[in-house]
Amino acid sequence: MKDKLIIKVEGLHKSFDNLEVLKGIDLDVHEGEVISIIGGSGSGKSTLLRCINFLEKKNKGNIFINGKKIKRSANEINKLREKVGMVFQRFNLFPHKTVLKNVMVGPVVIKKKNKEQVEKNALKLLENVGLEDKADVYPAMLSGGQQQRVAIARALAMEPDVLLFDEPTSALDPELVGEVLHVIDKLAKGGMTMLIVTHEMGFAKEVSDRVVFLHEGKIEESGTPTEIFDNPKSERLKSFISSIW
Amino acid sequence: MNFIINLFTPFVEFFTVVFKYAPKFDKAIIYTLELSIFSILLGTLIGLIVTTLKLTKFKVLQKIAYFYISIVRGTPLLLQLYFIFYGLPLIGLEFNSFTSAIIGLAFHSGAYISEIFRGAIVSIHYGQEEAARALGMSKVQSFFHIILPQAFKRSVPSLGNQFIIAVKDSSLASVITITEITLTARQFSAATYNPFPILFIAGVYYYVIITILSKSLKRLEGRLRVDER
Repeated sequence: MKDKLIIKVEGLHKSFDNLEVLKGIDLDVHEGEVISIIGGSGSGKSTLLRCINFLEKKNKGNIFINGKKIKRSANEINKLREKVGMVFQRFNLFPHKTVLKNVMVGPVVIKKKNKEQVEKNALKLLENVGLEDKADVYPAMLSGGQQQRVAIARALAMEPDVLLFDEPTSALDPELVGEVLHVIDKLAKGGMTMLIVTHEMGFAKEVSDRVVFLHEGKIEESGTPTEIFDNPKSERLKSFISSIW
Repeated sequence: MNFIINLFTPFVEFFTVVFKYAPKFDKAIIYTLELSIFSILLGTLIGLIVTTLKLTKFKVLQKIAYFYISIVRGTPLLLQLYFIFYGLPLIGLEFNSFTSAIIGLAFHSGAYISEIFRGAIVSIHYGQEEAARALGMSKVQSFFHIILPQAFKRSVPSLGNQFIIAVKDSSLASVITITEITLTARQFSAATYNPFPILFIAGVYYYVIITILSKSLKRLEGRLRVDER
C-alpha cells in the first residue's frame, strides 16, 4: 500500500539572507504515510513545510509532487497547492466569511465547482470535524480549537493528496489541544497522507508511521516512533527528548 | 412693550430673509450633490486603480502612482481647479466648468482614497494571503476574494471621513463659476447686502447633507461588522 510516492524532497537548501536554515534535506513521503517532524526551535521544521508548498522559495534542490518535478512558474505552483493542503499554527481562517463559506471558498473560486455540490460536501466535512452546527457563524465566534478544525475542513475541501500541518496546536489553550489532535488522528486512521510539524511528542509517537528529527537544518535522525523515542541513537536526539520529556 | 418688540425684530428680520431665500437654493443644492457624488464615486474608482498600480511589481507604474499622489497632496485643491479650468485650455485641453470641477475634485479625493485603501490592504495580516495561496488561489483571486473585502471594511471609517471632506471641497468649485451652494450664497449676499442669513442657509444645507452622509456611513459600518464577536 505504501509504495506510491506523494512527495519527494531532494537536497533542499534554503537561506534567509546569510542564515542557512535548511542544509540539504532529503525526504520521501509515501501515500497514506503519517510523518511527524520534530526538533528544537530554529531547526528548520516550519521552513521545510513552507518550502514544500512554495510559501518560501527554495534556494537549491528539487521537490517532486506525485512524481512530477515542480518548476517555479506561478501556474504550476497554484496547481501544486491544490494538491497539497496546509494547516497553519494561527489557523488563518477568513474572518469575513462564515465557517461554511470558509470551507467552500477553495472549490468554488479555484475549481469553479457547482455551489450546491460544494456546499453539500462542505457540510459533510464540517460534520467530520464535529462542527456542523457552526456552519453559519463567523470565525471570531469560535474557540481556537474550533477554528483549527474548520481550517482542517477548509484544507480537506480541496481534496488534497497530502496535508501539511505547521504546529497545528501550538497556538491553542491546553484544554483545546485534544479536540484538534483527535481530528488529525481520525484522518490518519482514514488513510490521509500527512506531514506534521509538532511539539506534541506523545501524539507524534502515537499517530506517526515515521518520525523525523531535524537539527540545524539537517535530518539528524529518522525512523519509527519506537526507534526515535525509545531508542534514540544520536546524542542530540537523546538530549532533545530528555529535555522535553 | 417696545422693549420686547425691539428685542425680537432682528430675529424676525433674520428669519424672514432665511425663509425667503432658502427655497432659492434648489439648483445650488443639486449642483453641490452632483459634484460631491461624482467626486466620491470617481475618486473611489481612481483610488482603487491607483492602489492597484502601487501594489503591482512594475516599478514604472508605481512611480506614476506616487508622482500623481505627490502632486495632488503637495498643492492646494484651489490651485488645481484654477489650473484645470484656466491653465489646461492654453495647451488645447478645454473642459466646461462643471467637467473641470469634477475632474479636479475626483483626482483630488482619488489620491487620498488610494492611500486609505493602501493602508487598509497592508494592514491585513499576511497569514490571510498565505492561507488563500496555500489553498491554490492565484494572486488575483486571493486579492479580490480574500484581501480586498477585508481591506474595504477596514477602510470604511477613513473613507467616510474623506467623503465628508469631498462634500465640503465641492464648495471650491465656486471659484470656477459653478453656482453650487457657496457661490449662490455669495451672489445672494451681494444682492441683498445681508450676508449673515444667507450664509446661515448655506451652512444649514451643508450640515444636513453631511449629517445624512455620515449617518448612512455609520449604518454601513454597523452592517459590515456582523463578522465580529
